Amino acid sequence: MALAQENVLIPDVGLRVKALESLLAEKGAIDPKSLDLLVEAFETRIGPKNGAKVIAKAWVDPEYKKWLMKDGTAAIKSLGYSGVQGENMVVIENTPTVHNVVVCTLCSCYPWPTLGLPPIWFKSAPYRARVVIEPRAVLREFGLEIADDVEVRVWDSTAELRYLVMPMRPAGTENFNEAQLAELVTRDSMIGTGLALAPGK
Amino acid sequence: MINKVTVEMMPIVLATGDPARVDEPIPAKFKEGDKVIVLEVNAPTHNRLPSYIKGKVGTVTFDHGVFVFPDTSAHRKGPKPQHVYTVTFTAQEVWGEAGHPSDRLYADIWDDYMRHA
Repeated sequence: MALAQENVLIPDVGLRVKALESLLAEKGAIDPKSLDLLVEAFETRIGPKNGAKVIAKAWVDPEYKKWLMKDGTAAIKSLGYSGVQGENMVVIENTPTVHNVVVCTLCSCYPWPTLGLPPIWFKSAPYRARVVIEPRAVLREFGLEIADDVEVRVWDSTAELRYLVMPMRPAGTENFNEAQLAELVTRDSMIGTGLALAPGK
Repeated sequence: MINKVTVEMMPIVLATGDPARVDEPIPAKFKEGDKVIVLEVNAPTHNRLPSYIKGKVGTVTFDHGVFVFPDTSAHRKGPKPQHVYTVTFTAQEVWGEAGHPSDRLYADIWDDYMRHA
């Protein structure tokens, strides 16, 4: 079964979270209303559409792209995306000869302000263990065949840097505006387990 | 003593996060281009060094500046601020012949986890 479809949820995770929340509230460690605000932010405002806007802008604006590659944190913040798990951003660019893919082998570090919360498979032991050992086989399971003459770079976000992949701009999008381009930038293309969508797909 | 998480904190947490970067002029032990060996850190306490690169030789590729050291800060023994670098390893250095000859691994590593090769 392909990694992306694998069910790796631990059982009763919802119950466990509920129990933890009640306990923390009873001990006076949290105001449950503060958690509601966090959940609402991640349900309505913070997700991969933010990252897609960053990538689309970089595709159409060479000056912005230069800034983004040099100081990812500042360039991303200028579009309004900053904060927890995006304090130190690094953008890595795919080219015809280099394909980048991101993992956190130690846990599940992920750039929240630009991509939201990580998908289940990103946190799963099989993805984390295998993508560093056999990245080409793992990418094949995501439907990506990497040519033998393309270098695969696996970025293990073991410290405080958070990585965002800039996928290649698809062919046939020369007349697309920023908003149209952003529609083509998928979450997986910014992790490196996918490509930007071809127009019309 | 519990520092309660409140509603008022949320907009600040969401907008600024919890920066681990330290604004202190700590000297770097390594510079970009240096060959390094990752140490065999096997402490039972918290650390942020993945096992698969222990003992492997890599090249310092970026110096990201100074950050809190998790090994000490996690145990409330102070920030012990030090440089963090992206170190590049060839897939074959890490995995032997199983690694693809053109592939690379990049890991972010604190000063205390490495020595010069």
